[in-house]
Amino acid sequence: MNESVQIEIHDLTKIYKLNKKQMQESHTKNPKKTAVDHLTLTAKSGEIYGLLGPNGAGKTTTLRCIATIIKPSSGEIYVNGNEVQKNSEAVRKSIGFLTSDIKLDPQFSVDYLFDFFGELRGIAPDQIKKRKEELFTYFGINDFAHKKIKELSTGMKQKAAIAVSLIHDPEVVIFDEPTNGLDIITARSVTDYLRKLKEEGKLVIISTHIMSEAEKLCDRIGIIIDGKKRAEGTLAEILEETGTHDLEDAFFEYFKSVKGEA
Amino acid sequence: MKTIYKKELARIFKDKKMIFSVFLLPVLIMVGIMALVGNLATRQVEDIENHRSIVYMINEPDSFSAFLEAADLNMEVNTIKTDGERENVMDLLRNGDADLLIEFPENFDSMIQEYQTGDEVPQIKTYYNPSEDYSSSAYELISNQTLEAYRQTLLSQRVADMNGIQIFTVNSDNKDMIVQDDQKASGKALGMMLPYFITILLFAGAMGIGTDMIAGEKERGTMASLLVTPVKRKSIVLGKVFALMTISGISSVIYIVVMGATFPKILGGDSGLDIEITPEQIAMIGVLLVAISFLYSAIVILISVFARDLKEASTYITPAYMVVLVIGMMTMFTTSEAGMKDYLIPFYNTALALKGILTSEVTMAQYGVTLVMTLVLGGILTAVIAKAFESEKVMNL
Repeated sequence: MNESVQIEIHDLTKIYKLNKKQMQESHTKNPKKTAVDHLTLTAKSGEIYGLLGPNGAGKTTTLRCIATIIKPSSGEIYVNGNEVQKNSEAVRKSIGFLTSDIKLDPQFSVDYLFDFFGELRGIAPDQIKKRKEELFTYFGINDFAHKKIKELSTGMKQKAAIAVSLIHDPEVVIFDEPTNGLDIITARSVTDYLRKLKEEGKLVIISTHIMSEAEKLCDRIGIIIDGKKRAEGTLAEILEETGTHDLEDAFFEYFKSVKGEA
Repeated sequence: MKTIYKKELARIFKDKKMIFSVFLLPVLIMVGIMALVGNLATRQVEDIENHRSIVYMINEPDSFSAFLEAADLNMEVNTIKTDGERENVMDLLRNGDADLLIEFPENFDSMIQEYQTGDEVPQIKTYYNPSEDYSSSAYELISNQTLEAYRQTLLSQRVADMNGIQIFTVNSDNKDMIVQDDQKASGKALGMMLPYFITILLFAGAMGIGTDMIAGEKERGTMASLLVTPVKRKSIVLGKVFALMTISGISSVIYIVVMGATFPKILGGDSGLDIEITPEQIAMIGVLLVAISFLYSAIVILISVFARDLKEASTYITPAYMVVLVIGMMTMFTTSEAGMKDYLIPFYNTALALKGILTSEVTMAQYGVTLVMTLVLGGILTAVIAKAFESEKVMNL
């Protein structure tokens, strides 16, 4: 593993076993579904890497494998030199992970949960307080910090979830569709914060299907369709390769080529 | 583990509604039900006692009518004469509109007075409906007690020396006939009920909270937020199991204290139980309760782990509750003395030990085996839960 690279994925494959109900819903007789198919990528500190793809492309599955939530069927993933299956606790210590599937307990306040997750991560109380002031102020959480999660709007919940995921000031930030469902002002505050993290030298990996967001935010983009990486590079490199003028057109070029393969 | 434990307790203790629904509502409901049942039972007894029995008689001798009048019983006596009337009374008895029919043979008085050795003994026939409480009560009072007293009266007229025909009496003047250890006797009565109540309290107390703690968190997506932290899965499991133990333990202690304080009053101030428990017995029960609540919490959490959502968890947990409950009840109907091998049977051994502690019949070896078996089984189940936490399929990840 190259020491300057923070995340390195080698030949990652994730195959899900489907139950009868899932097979019926997917209109398939095959009890196995390949969500990620021999994916290889690297991402370095000080950059924002965007995983782009349609729904069901394998973006979230890839991020969940990196975050040690699920285990790869084959392949290897290294985060700061730690292999995710062999040293999952060290990996979880170094990453801040957020996905729409992960929710905060609706019975507790943001303030309580921030302290709780801080304590759970073994952070000293004074450090928790410092981070709380910093993150709550940045995301404007102080106004609703003592309200229960169940009483908050979608935007407030997302801000709270982001703050909690960043409590330990992680070196690697992995956000799955972080602006999904947010109003334009809240979405802007989130993307601004991701830029700030990048400037601090952190590695940020996001998944998104919002092309304009990826264009403006990501230093490098990986396009995934049907579990396979179809392209990777800077926006300029991708546009040049496809001979298009924006990411949406470029994406459709790749998408058409895949459907052509099929 | 400590942080998870504190959070799970905070879930209950920071919410007044939860405190009320987990700790107070079940107690209020049970006390309310017991008070209602006690009140209804008392009213039923009073109603039967106050009821004016409707009694029909055929061929009743004047001496018996006079005897009844002198006894001053709360009854309405009707005389019938014809077979048609007799059939009507039978219908009234069947319908619960009459309580008792007493049929004397014709010329009853003369049969008694002219009786010679070898003559047929006159027979009084009584008819009642055992499915009617009023009728059963009238039968007991009149047919069994009053007619017997009437028979004794007539007998005293025929035989000058009643003692001469009595041959012997049984316990007519023996105040010390009951020889028992009062503590053991009351312990036996309590020991019959305690395993049953303990099972209800500890298991039912853990059911609602435990399923929400695991299956509810999986369903809401909040479990994943714990699993992305560097905390060991074993620590998450133990934090939840111990929190559930504490909650169900507190719930059952409140329950037992309130029931103990209110039961005698509910049962009219005389429950018939002269309960005296020594400090040693309390300590033994206390330690065993900790072990039982550990086992039951582990069972509830294990079932919840394998359920995809709250609804499924509730469906799975009901049969387990019934099984544990039935095993707990088995000791109520066991008369033979339990051997060491009985204390090796999980669940049954805890019920036996609780009963044995109260009756001072359990040996320290049997108690120790029960304790170790319960803790080991709880430990094994906890290890299985921790293993299940590693499975992305089981955890719906």
